Amino acid sequence: MRLLSISALFMALASAFLLYSLNYDARTLEARLRAQEATAETIRADIAVLKAERAHLARPGRIEPLARAQGLKPIAERQVVKMREIENRLITGSATPR
Amino acid sequence: MSQYRRPVIISPGLPQRRNRAPWQRHGRAHTRDMRALTVSLSVLAMSLAIAGQLVHLALAGQTSMTTTLSHPIANSFARPDIVDRHGRLLATDVAMPSLFADPSRVVDPNVVVEKLSELLPGLDREALRRKLSDRGRRFVWVQRGVSPAMAQQIHNLGLPGLSFKQELKRAYPAGRLAGHVLGSVNIDNKGLSGIEQHIDAVVGADPVLGAQRSRKAPVQLSLDVGVQHALDDELARALRRYQATAAAGVVMDVNSGEVIAAASIPGVDPMQPAQHQETRRRDRVAGGSYELGSIFKAFTVAMALEAGLVTVNTKLDVTKPLVEGRHTIRDGHGGGRPLSVAEVFTHSSNVGAGLLALAAGPKRQKLFLDNFRLLTPIKTEAGRVAAPQLPEQWQRIEQITIAYGHGMAVSPLQFAAAYSALVNGGSYVAPTFLRRVAGESVPRQRVLSHATSRKMRTLMRLNVTDRAGTGGRADVPGYRVGGKTGTAEVASVGGYKKKTVISSFSAAFPMDEPRYVVLVSVFEPKGNRNSGGAITASRNAAPTTGRVIRRIAPLLNVMPAGTVTALSAPR
Repeated sequence: MRLLSISALFMALASAFLLYSLNYDARTLEARLRAQEATAETIRADIAVLKAERAHLARPGRIEPLARAQGLKPIAERQVVKMREIENRLITGSATPR
Repeated sequence: MSQYRRPVIISPGLPQRRNRAPWQRHGRAHTRDMRALTVSLSVLAMSLAIAGQLVHLALAGQTSMTTTLSHPIANSFARPDIVDRHGRLLATDVAMPSLFADPSRVVDPNVVVEKLSELLPGLDREALRRKLSDRGRRFVWVQRGVSPAMAQQIHNLGLPGLSFKQELKRAYPAGRLAGHVLGSVNIDNKGLSGIEQHIDAVVGADPVLGAQRSRKAPVQLSLDVGVQHALDDELARALRRYQATAAAGVVMDVNSGEVIAAASIPGVDPMQPAQHQETRRRDRVAGGSYELGSIFKAFTVAMALEAGLVTVNTKLDVTKPLVEGRHTIRDGHGGGRPLSVAEVFTHSSNVGAGLLALAAGPKRQKLFLDNFRLLTPIKTEAGRVAAPQLPEQWQRIEQITIAYGHGMAVSPLQFAAAYSALVNGGSYVAPTFLRRVAGESVPRQRVLSHATSRKMRTLMRLNVTDRAGTGGRADVPGYRVGGKTGTAEVASVGGYKKKTVISSFSAAFPMDEPRYVVLVSVFEPKGNRNSGGAITASRNAAPTTGRVIRRIAPLLNVMPAGTVTALSAPR
């Protein structure tokens, strides 16, 4: 009986210690998780800002004047041809720059 | 104390007393032993319970814990991004610092107000001074959504009691582009109008305490940023070119009802919600209904053809004015001879259209227009579309005027949706600002026969290619444009203003198998050098539509063709 009591007491103390260490580990892990989540959130926010900046810089209202300044123009209907027509021209040798 | 001890009787046949089990004992020893047993069993039970819980924890792993609050505590809302049909960003949330103060820690409110006013000129100084002087408060907003650079400057002032909190702020990287469609949000990032309001109502904006971005998938619109810009740009050019007060345009996919572009100039900046309230910046595509003039003749002719009242070759006597009561309807360009139905369309004869409407009768006319959803209000994801304005009575004079687009008013968006049904084979498809998923079945309702739709396409193309047609300036080589002009006088007290008009051109392309409808309206254009002194749609709205189509057709993968094919002569 005494042996049983001592064993039980030992088990209780061991369990308490185990619980304490588990609790401690869990808190440490939670702190790490929170830190990593905060980092991920910061990175997501940074990515969102970068995407917004890229979209702002690539907006057609900004690109168009820059493109026109480089001598570019919207596609004209004569510039659109089917692949078959190009092949025919190459075969007949009638491909001439326009 | 008595030293008396009970005699121990040793008997070889009986077990010794100390070796007995507790429940076999009697007296004090029995009580003591029973207590020890109880304590031992209790300790054992507790140990087993702890061990069991440990085993349970080890086997069950980490449990998720959720804390639910009875009321959401939030200072802003996280919203999903808005992207165009190709995934290009139109609206997003970015974290920005917001300035707040703790009045109990502010040393001198006057100094704080003076120094902050130098950096933030728009600050309401009196209101801030009042708030900072209330020492009972621990938190007051000073300025929400300041730029990081400004936040640094404020921080450098070193004023105690001021601090920053990261908040989500809506940003629109494309600026004014599609401002009317996108709508706006309030200071708490809640949707006020347009697609932003649709997100709150349908998709959901999540209340957040800090600057946590939404995890929801982006809302994909049917708009194409490239097409939207081209439409915006050409409308702004038309505004200057024809000295107009406003211009509006819409590009719609005739088969899916998707709005590819919708612009109203002057536009609005989604970052400034107050602009939505300015009269001159109102959305003329969906936010107002207008008498659109002769572009309505397309419905009148389609109605007469569908009912079998006439063929495109039937001659109508349009040589005399149409007199109804005290009203006389005349043609501006009749030619002084009977016109075929095709010519009524291409010459834009008011008398001819009136005769067709009278032949159809009021019941048929109303039913026909109602089938095309021109008489009842419609709604899109961007909000309510301005309701049609209809006459109180539908007498003969109303029949005649509605036949050529006066006497009833609809929004350009509602008109474009109906016009799509005229050219897409005869099926009405409700307009939408959300991109349809590939393979998604599109709800459609047949409102016109294939044969009549084909005839209408031929007439519209004829109106652009024929020398006598009014839409010649809308033609774009290769893209088979067809359409109808409309110049509507603007109603005022006591009648119509002769020199104040809304000029419109409703077009579709490519006309052998239409994919897109383009509707352009120019409000109150002036006759000047650019329009040959005229204010009619053929001189302003038609060429603007042509310029729009020239730019957007390659973006929409419409292949140009050298010759017009698949357009047989009308019968």
